[in-house]
Parts: sequence; structure tokens; C-alpha cells
Amino acid sequence: MSYTLTISSTGDEVEIEEGQTILDACLRAGIWLPHACCHGMCATCKIDIEDGEIEHGDASPFALMDSERDEGKALACCATLESDVTIDAEIEEDPDAEGIPVEDYEGTVEAIERLTPTIRGIRIRLDREIAFQPGQYVNLEIGGDAALTRAFSIANDRGDGTLVELNVRIVPGGKGTTWLHENLNEGDRIRLSGPYGRFFVRKSARQPMLFIAGGSGLSSPRSMILDLLAGGEDQAITLVYGARNREELYYHESFEELAAEHPNFTYVPALSDEPEGSDWTGVRGFAHEAAKEAFDNDFRGLKAYLCGPPPMIEAAISTLMQGRLFEKDIYTEKFFSAADAQQIRSPLFRRI
Amino acid sequence: MDIAVTKKKKLGLKERYALMTRGLGWEPTYQSVDDVFPMDTFEGIKIHDWDAWEDPFRLTMDAYWKYQAEKERKLYAILDAFAQGNGHLTLSDARYINTVKLFINGLAPLEYMSHRGFAHIGRQFRGVGPRVACMMQSLDEMRHAQTQVHAISNYNRYYDGMANFRHHHTHLPYLQVPRSFFEDAATGGPFEFIVAIGFAFEYVLTNLVFVPFISGAAYNGDMGAMTFGFSAQSDEARHMTLGLEVIKFVLEQDPDNLPIVQKWLNKWTWRGVRVLTLVAMMQDYMLPKRVMSWAEAWEIYFEENCGALFRDLARYGIEVPPCVEQVRKERDHLSHMAWCQFYQARGTSNFHAWLPSKEDMDWLSAKYPDTFDQYYRPRFEYWAKLEEEGTPFEAQTPPQQCQVCQIPTIFPVPGEPLTRAEHTCEHDGERFHFCSEWCQVIFEDEPEKYVQANLGAHELYKGNLFGDADPTAEGFDPMAAAMAFLKLTPAESGLHKDSEDARNFDLWRGLATRNDA
Repeated sequence: MSYTLTISSTGDEVEIEEGQTILDACLRAGIWLPHACCHGMCATCKIDIEDGEIEHGDASPFALMDSERDEGKALACCATLESDVTIDAEIEEDPDAEGIPVEDYEGTVEAIERLTPTIRGIRIRLDREIAFQPGQYVNLEIGGDAALTRAFSIANDRGDGTLVELNVRIVPGGKGTTWLHENLNEGDRIRLSGPYGRFFVRKSARQPMLFIAGGSGLSSPRSMILDLLAGGEDQAITLVYGARNREELYYHESFEELAAEHPNFTYVPALSDEPEGSDWTGVRGFAHEAAKEAFDNDFRGLKAYLCGPPPMIEAAISTLMQGRLFEKDIYTEKFFSAADAQQIRSPLFRRI
Repeated sequence: MDIAVTKKKKLGLKERYALMTRGLGWEPTYQSVDDVFPMDTFEGIKIHDWDAWEDPFRLTMDAYWKYQAEKERKLYAILDAFAQGNGHLTLSDARYINTVKLFINGLAPLEYMSHRGFAHIGRQFRGVGPRVACMMQSLDEMRHAQTQVHAISNYNRYYDGMANFRHHHTHLPYLQVPRSFFEDAATGGPFEFIVAIGFAFEYVLTNLVFVPFISGAAYNGDMGAMTFGFSAQSDEARHMTLGLEVIKFVLEQDPDNLPIVQKWLNKWTWRGVRVLTLVAMMQDYMLPKRVMSWAEAWEIYFEENCGALFRDLARYGIEVPPCVEQVRKERDHLSHMAWCQFYQARGTSNFHAWLPSKEDMDWLSAKYPDTFDQYYRPRFEYWAKLEEEGTPFEAQTPPQQCQVCQIPTIFPVPGEPLTRAEHTCEHDGERFHFCSEWCQVIFEDEPEKYVQANLGAHELYKGNLFGDADPTAEGFDPMAAAMAFLKLTPAESGLHKDSEDARNFDLWRGLATRNDA
């Protein structure tokens, strides 16, 4: 049995499972609520219940007073739902969020392209138009099983309203990506839902942009950059793209062409494991090292967008921060595997 | 008929908050800002934009009073019920009361010192956001000190060792350990104070203090202490978020701040862990019903939680303080060494000591399989034999104290449990002694500060603890004069089994539970 949680100030709707706390559901849905102790002691996550029934759980009587309970306050970290509920909470409004509602779509696989030995480009022609913000992702149904979905960022810009291109790297032993690589054929019907995620360009900031991508994490930055350039963006845009070797580097020529066409766009590919003596003349090393060199270790004044595997994101965040760019100017989209989610994090950072 | 509903526009949470906090600041006109806030620059911390401070919690003074008042009402209702129901007789065992004594003498006065410290820096920061946050924390700390004194006063009516907590806090040698910790912080600049207390203590080490005491209270039937613990903990999370915000703010403002902050983290992590020696000992030896061992608490609250924090801080270039290696090596020794020291020096503390029972020792060897049986059990068994024979061992001379942390220099060389560590250096023609490399490092960074330390045992030898007594008078008894000066009575110290407290607890509990003639 699940209930719907509505956040009145933003209109966001979140599905909550029985026994799941409001805070947990919101954080998992990408909605950041202020919180600290996570067990009902500190009252940092206090919210207003505007409509519906909740259970206060383990909220401490010292953190949530009786008078506040009577006024309809609750602690998001302990509260669970007894019905559909509407809350209000102090959520930072993001002027660049378009708030596009998530919907279900069906379509046909139009083309499957071998981008690298490990990455397939899958082009899906939807039956109707999808609205999304470049950088967002969709949940793709695997093998016709509605319960088995995998998240992939959209790799194309929004010029063609019914096209969704996904770049899928095969994960050894991964059920979803193996099926997509081995069983999916051109002409197959496929279902997806979206758009999801809060990874999109903060255009209103009017600041130069740095994109750091690793592996198939190129999808979101590609979509974002294509969209920016098509829209006549005049801020400086830099893409630092890290791949293992020349074979794994894809869309390389198209980015070189874009860089030649647009004086405000710089493309920095970096290879971390290219055989010595090959004809590669570009940067050898990891993406974060290439970024540090390209910006002479001074990232002040930028907005940075990072997309790739967690170790790359982590290395890039440290590099940016030691080059004086901090949390409020760094946006990330991490690819999590179950093992990554296990690591204990401190509450020092909210988003990164 | 439709009636148009006109909603009166209410101020949003954010706007309201801004007006009630930062909106209260103003630009001085007839004094320069530097003259109004003369203390927030001399430490070398560079702040370019005070407005970049992000308030970690949104609380305004009017809401603050309302919440705190309700917390007080709840707390005092429980304290009254505990006192009226003779709650002290429902404790697990009379030995537990010594934990309460350690708290009121050692920790509650720190809350008051923290109140003063935050009031001071709340005046000294030129940014309005941090000033408001510091003011609230200052009031919290005052409240904590008061509620702790009130809660524990219920024990003071029946048991020894608490009546003179203020005097003892400033005079007894063992209490100089926590006191010097806070005085060191309060005599630093405002940034050092907030990194030391707001971050290193309130964030990095707070769970290692709170869990043993408050869970210890809950496990041992002390509802009063448990309740003030919960009441304080509802503020504590706010203090922790303030500590985190401070460290981020300072590190993000200027790259030159990094080495200064790193130095303070190295220093205050070490100083904090040294103070926790008292907590480690309490946890392993003083709770009749135990919560978890010090080693287990260290693994959860330092290795796991603080490990995650230091991994995140590494993004700024902060490194794990080098002293942590030594702390790890001392983990399985700390509480045992401390309890041995207190047992031997039980004549100069205001709580009672005892030897661990056979069952206690079996628990300790299970929790400390690599150290307890090898290094400490034989000592306790020998002392037990002496007690049985009517000749209990007691140290006859006060120990040498470390010039920085003020703990007796009892610690072994890290990794060599049978060799006592000796660290000394000369400064200005005088020789100074330290318990460890890390205390020496702290001394050598600011020797002018630490040469002023007032070390109780050393002062005794200098003849400075005799009060008005005349040492040249015939029949002068130096220890008696010192005890009078320290206001330490024989009933407050010595062995638990011989104490008035143990006797009275048994008597009163007997009256409460039996129908003796």
C-alpha cells in the first residue's frame, strides 16, 4: 500500500511506501529537505502538514512539542503516512527547473549503433512527443517487465520531440544492460517513463560552464551542450571528457566539429589508458587532471556539471574544490551501483 | 454565490527569518567596523564575504524562547517526579552515583564555560548570521548547565562529592583536565574557539561523550539524567550543524585558511580525545550496567562516522590529524590506565574507586582480548589481594602532570605498552614535560600560553596549595593543609566499599524495599 505525498509550494508529488518516512521518500525522489540527525532529535526537518493523516513515529517530545503537533507540524525524518498527505516545507526554489511532470511513454527502437566496444547508442522513436530538460533521465523497461527498469540519461537535445537516444554501457553481469546489448533489436517496442532528475543547466546564473564527463556519462552533458549551442548561448562552455582509450571515446569528431564552429565552446578529451606510442596527441590522464590543467587549477566563477561513475565524480569534486569552486556551483549526476550506496556519508555536504 | 477569498499575504519562512536575524544588524556610522569587531582578524583567518555564510538552521529568537520554555516544563515535571518518588533508590547500584559525580564536577561546568565562550564570540564576529547562531548556542549552553545542576542537586541531598562542584572544578588536579581544555579554547581567538568547540568537540567528539553518559543513565535507572540528556540533545544537533557550517565557511573563504584550520583540527582532536580519557574510564569501569565498551564506541563514532567526515573534508584538502594513529594504538589501553590511576590516587578525587569484580574483568577481557589479561588483570588481582589482606595499595605521592592536557604522564609509548612515554623540552631555561608527542607539538606552537598552566600536583610541591596554613608551624601536615584548601573531605574520597554513600544507599534502599524492624 503506498500513498501520495504532495509538496504544496512546488507541486512535486512523491509516492511513499508503507512505513517509509517522508524524508527518505523525498531524498530518493531528488527533493532536498533540510535535515541533520535523521532520528527525531534535532528538529531540523520540521515540516507543516497541510492535509491528510500522518504518524509521528519516534519524534522526540523535546524536538517536536505537543503544541507543534497540535498545529500540524511533523518531523520528516520520523513521520510516515496514514493517507495521501500534502505538506509544506522549506524547499529552495530553483528558477531553472521546468517542473515537467513524469509520464509513461511507448515507442519503437529505430536504430541501435555500436558507439564503442562497450557502449550502444539506442534511438527510440516515441509514439508521442516527450518534454524534458537536457540532462534529465528516463526509466527504461527491461524485457517487457514493468517491475524491472533501469535509468538512462537522454543523450540527444530537444530538437526532435519524439526522439530519445540512450547510450548504454554494458555492466559485466548486469541484468538490464546485458539485455539491452544482447536481446534488444531494431523495430522492437519498448516502454519508458520520465523525465526524472534535477540535473539540468542553471542558465539563469549567467556564468561560464564546465562539463566533466566520464564513459557513458557523456549522455547528459551532450544533451545539455547541444541544447545550449542550438539556443545561441554566449557564455564560455568547456567539455572535459574522459575515456579509457581511443576506442572508448565516442562522438569525438562531432565535438571537434562543434568546437570549430563555436568559438565559445572548448572540447578537452582525455584518455587514461591509451597504449603508449599510439597516435593520440590529446591529453593522457584522468578527466579531473585534464580539467585542472585546462583551468590552471582555478575554477572560480564557473558552474560545473559532473556526470559519470562515482570515482570520477569524487575525484572531480575534490579537484574543483581545491581549485576554489564549491558545493553551490557544482551539480552532479552519479551512476550508482548497490555497492556505492552503502558508503557512510557525513552531513557536511547536501548535494555533492 | 461565490465569495472571493482574499488571502492575507503572510511572510514566507525565509523572508521572516531574514528580517528576524540578519535584518537586526546595522552598519556602524561613527566607528569603523574594524574598531567595533577588533578580534576577528588577528588569527590570520581571511573572510571576504560574511554574507556568504549560510544559516544552518532557521530559528528566530521568538520561536527559540517558545520551544525552550516547553522543553523546560517537560524536563522539570520529570525531575520533580523523579525526586518525589525517591528515584535515586531505583538506580542499578550505588557505584553508578560516581558517574553522576564525574558529570557534575567534570562536564556540567564545561557547559557553563561554553556559554561564556559563545557569548564572547557572538559579540566578536562581524557577520550577523554567525553572531545570531552563537548567541543561541550561548543560551543553550547556559540552559544545559542549569538543568544539569538542578537535576543532579537531587543526588546532592543524599550523597557526597557534589556539594563543592564549582570549587572542585577549579581546584582538584584531575578536574584541571577538562577545565584546561576549555580555558585553552576560550583564550584562543574567536575562530579557534568555534573550530575547537563548535566543530572538533560538538561535532567530531560529541557522540563519544553523549552516548556513554546518557545511555549509561538510561541503563542504570537514572531517569533525571536521561531526561536532561534528551532535552540537551535536541539542541545538540543544532550545535553540530553550526560546527559544520563554520568549517565549510572558513575553508571556502580563502585558501590561506586551510593550513590554519588543519593545525586547529590536529590540536583539538588530540585535546578532545585526551579529555575523553575520563569518559572511556567511566564507560568501561564505572557503569554497573554497561552500554558498550569504549573500544566499541570509538569504532562506531570515530572510525565510522568521523571517517566519513574526514573523507568529505579531504575534498577541501584537509587531512586526518596525525594523532589519530596514536589514538588507535591507545584504544585498548586508555580506560584501563585511567582507572588504575584513579584507583591509586583515590585520596585526591571527589568520587570513590573500586576494583573490578571477577565478572567485570571477564567482560573487560572479552572486550579487550589483546590487552586486558596481559597487562591489567594481574595488576587488579594483586590489588584485590592487598585489599583482602587489609593493606590496600594507595599512591603516596601526586603524579607528574602533562604541561598541556594536564593528565598525569601515565601513557605508554604507542605500541610499547610496558614503556612509559617521556617527552620533554626546554623553553626559556625551564624544562617542561608532556604525556605525548602531540601535547608537545601543541606546546611548542604556543609556549607562552602553556607555560602559564597551573598544574595541581606541581603546585602542591611548590607549596601553593596550603591556603592560609603556615608551613613553618610546628606539626604542620602538608596533606591535611592541602585537603582543607581543596575543600576535599575524607567522606568524598577513598574506596567505594568503605564509603558513607555505599552504606546509606543500602540502608535507604533496604528501608524502601523491606519491612525491617
